[in-house]
Amino acid sequence: MLAVACPNCGAEIVFRSPALPVRVCDYCRTTVTRIGDELRALGQAAVLPFDVSPIRIGTAGRYDGAAFDIVGRVRWGWSDGSWNEWLALFGDGSHGWLAEAMGSFMMTRKRRLSEIPSMMIRRMIEGGEPQLGETDRIDDLDYRVADIKQATCIASEGELPFAAPKGWTISSVDMRTTTGAVASFQTDGRERGLYTGRYVTLGELQPTGLREIAGWAVPRFAA
Amino acid sequence: MATEPPPLPPLTPVASAAAGPAPAVKSLACPNCGGTIELRAAGYTVTLICQYCSSVLDVANPDVQIITRYNEESQRLAIPLGTRGTLKGVEWEAIGFLRRSENGSYPWDEYLLFNPYHGYRWLVTDGRGWTFGTMLTAEPEPGFDGLRVGGEAYKSFFAHGRAQVDYVLGEFYWRVAVGEEVETADYVRPGWMLSFEGNAQERNWTLGELLDGNEAAFGFAMAPQRWRPGGRPPLAHQISPYAASAGTAFKLALAAVAALFVILLLFGGSRASKSYDFNVRSDAGAASATIGPITLDRAFQAVTISAQAPGLENAWVDLDYALVNRKTQESFEAYGIAERYSGRDSDGDWTEGDRSATTKLAMVPAGDYDLMVDASGQRWAYSGSNGSTVTITVASGGRFWSNFFLALILLIVPPIFMLWRHARFEAARMGESDQGSALASLISQDDDE
Repeated sequence: MLAVACPNCGAEIVFRSPALPVRVCDYCRTTVTRIGDELRALGQAAVLPFDVSPIRIGTAGRYDGAAFDIVGRVRWGWSDGSWNEWLALFGDGSHGWLAEAMGSFMMTRKRRLSEIPSMMIRRMIEGGEPQLGETDRIDDLDYRVADIKQATCIASEGELPFAAPKGWTISSVDMRTTTGAVASFQTDGRERGLYTGRYVTLGELQPTGLREIAGWAVPRFAA
Repeated sequence: MATEPPPLPPLTPVASAAAGPAPAVKSLACPNCGGTIELRAAGYTVTLICQYCSSVLDVANPDVQIITRYNEESQRLAIPLGTRGTLKGVEWEAIGFLRRSENGSYPWDEYLLFNPYHGYRWLVTDGRGWTFGTMLTAEPEPGFDGLRVGGEAYKSFFAHGRAQVDYVLGEFYWRVAVGEEVETADYVRPGWMLSFEGNAQERNWTLGELLDGNEAAFGFAMAPQRWRPGGRPPLAHQISPYAASAGTAFKLALAAVAALFVILLLFGGSRASKSYDFNVRSDAGAASATIGPITLDRAFQAVTISAQAPGLENAWVDLDYALVNRKTQESFEAYGIAERYSGRDSDGDWTEGDRSATTKLAMVPAGDYDLMVDASGQRWAYSGSNGSTVTITVASGGRFWSNFFLALILLIVPPIFMLWRHARFEAARMGESDQGSALASLISQDDDE
C-alpha cells in the first residue's frame, strides 16, 4: 500500500498493489501512473455515465474461496451497448475482472499466453481474424467463438493494471462453452491478452458493500 | 453545431460511499416529442421506446439518438411498464414489452423484468398462463430424445420455429426493432420450457417455469389467467391436471387390490374337508346322503361344496344341499348341478356342460354341521349314461373370486377414467408439437388451434 499526493490536485491517492500501477484520482479524475517512485499524470479520465450497477469500488466478495475487493473499473462501449469490467483485487495480490453485461456477471483472470496450447488462440495472437462459431479446446473445454466486436473505452475509475483512456479501442473476441466457462481474447493491436473464467451469480460471490440503489432492497445474500 | 466543451470535473469524490443510495432511474427528454422518459436500467439499456410518441431511441451513448421517429400513442398493457411485482421472492420491475408472433400467427406477449441486483427475467404469456423465464449462461447438453439442463430432460416440442417482433415498448438491453426475426426451438418437460432463440450472431437459451395461475396475477396485481379444459389446447409445457390424480388413484386402487388379495389368501383358504361317494342312477329317483359332522370353528366362514360326477354322459344330476347345524337346526340351503352332454352335428362333435359343480355358502356361523344331499339323476337322451358315481366334498373356507374381480373392477374404474382424461390432455398438448402435427397430418385431421 502506497499513499501519495495526486500530482494534479494534491488529494491523497492510494496504490494498493505494485501490480496495479495506474490510479484514477477520485477527486480530479486525473489518471496517475506510478513507475517505481515516479508519478506521472496522464490526463483526465472521462466521467462515468450513470448506471444502476449493484457493484461499486469497495464492494467485497469471494470467488472460489478467495476473498477479493473491487478496486477499479473500466467501462467499455460498442456499437450495440456498453458494459463494466470491475477489477477484483485478491488477497494474494493477483487480480481478476468481474464483467457485468446484460444483467449477468463473469469473473475472468488473465492467462499466460504461452501456457495455452490452442491453434485458435495462436492465430489470434498472430493477428488472424477468428470466425464466429469457430471452436477450439482450451483447458480441456470446447470453446466456441460467440461474439467478435470492437470496444471503445468510455471511462475508468480506481486502480487499474493499465491506463484506460477514453477512446482507447480494442477488439474483443468472446468465447463460450456449454458449461458456463467463458474466455475472452483482447488486443489493441500492440498488446494482447487472453482471459478465462466463468459466469457467476452475484449471490455466489457472497458480496458485501454492494451499492445501494434507491427504492430497491439490497438482496439478503449481501446483508 | 459546435462541440460542447468537456464537463467540469466533479467536486465531490466519485466513489464516495457516504453519498447515500444511488438513484434508480435516470430521466431524459425524448428528442422527438420532448416528453420526460425514465430510464430504469441505465447502463444496460440500449434501446428505449418513448412511451408518449413510440419513437425508437438509441440510448447506448450519452447523446440520445432517434432511430425511428413515430408519433403514435402507446398501447395499453396488462402490466403497465414501471409496475413492480414480486415473483419467486424477488421484486421485479416491468421495463420492456414485446408482442411477438410466428409470421403474424399465434401472438404472445413478453415482459422484460429488471432488478438491479438480480438482472433480467422474462414474463411470457399467450393468454393461457404465465411463464417466468431466465436466460441460461450455459448451453444445454444433448440427451436422449432432447436436451438436458441441470440433470433434467427436456423433450423436443417445436424444432424449427420463427419469432418476429410486432410491437415494442419500453427499454431493452439490445437493439430491438419491429420486424426483427429469430429462429426458435422449444423443448419441454411438465411445467418447464427450454427455449432457443438464435440468428447468425447470437444463440440464446432461456429456461421458463410455468407459474401457478395466481402467482403472476398476485405478483403483479392482475386478474388471474389460467388454462381451462374445453377451450384452447394446453400449453406445451403445461402439467396435466389429471396425471397426479390418476397416479394417486392408481396407487390407491393397487394398494386396495393387493390388500383384498392378501385378505382372501389369508382368510379364505380351504380347510378340513370331508368327502362322500354315492351312486346316482337316473332311473332310481333321488339318492340321499348325510355327510358329517363338519366342524366350523371360526365365528363366520364360507363353506365350499363340490360335486364330481366323472361318469356322467348326456345326463345331469340335480343336487340339493342343506347344511344343518346340529345344535340349533339352522339350515343353509344351496343347489348345484353336474351335467354333461355331447353329440355330433354339421359342425362335428360337440360337448357341453360341466361334470363337476361347486357351490359356496357364505357367512356360515361356527358350530357342528351335517350336510344333507339329495341327488337325482336325469337322462337327457336315450344315449345317456344310466347313473354315475358322485363324489361330494365339503370344506370350510372358500375364496369368492367373483367378489374379488367385482371389487377389482370397481376399484380400477376411477383411475382408468382419470388416465383417459390425462391421455386426452396429453394428446391435446402434444397435438401442437411437431410430432403431434405430423401425426395429425398423417391421419388428415384439421387442427386450427
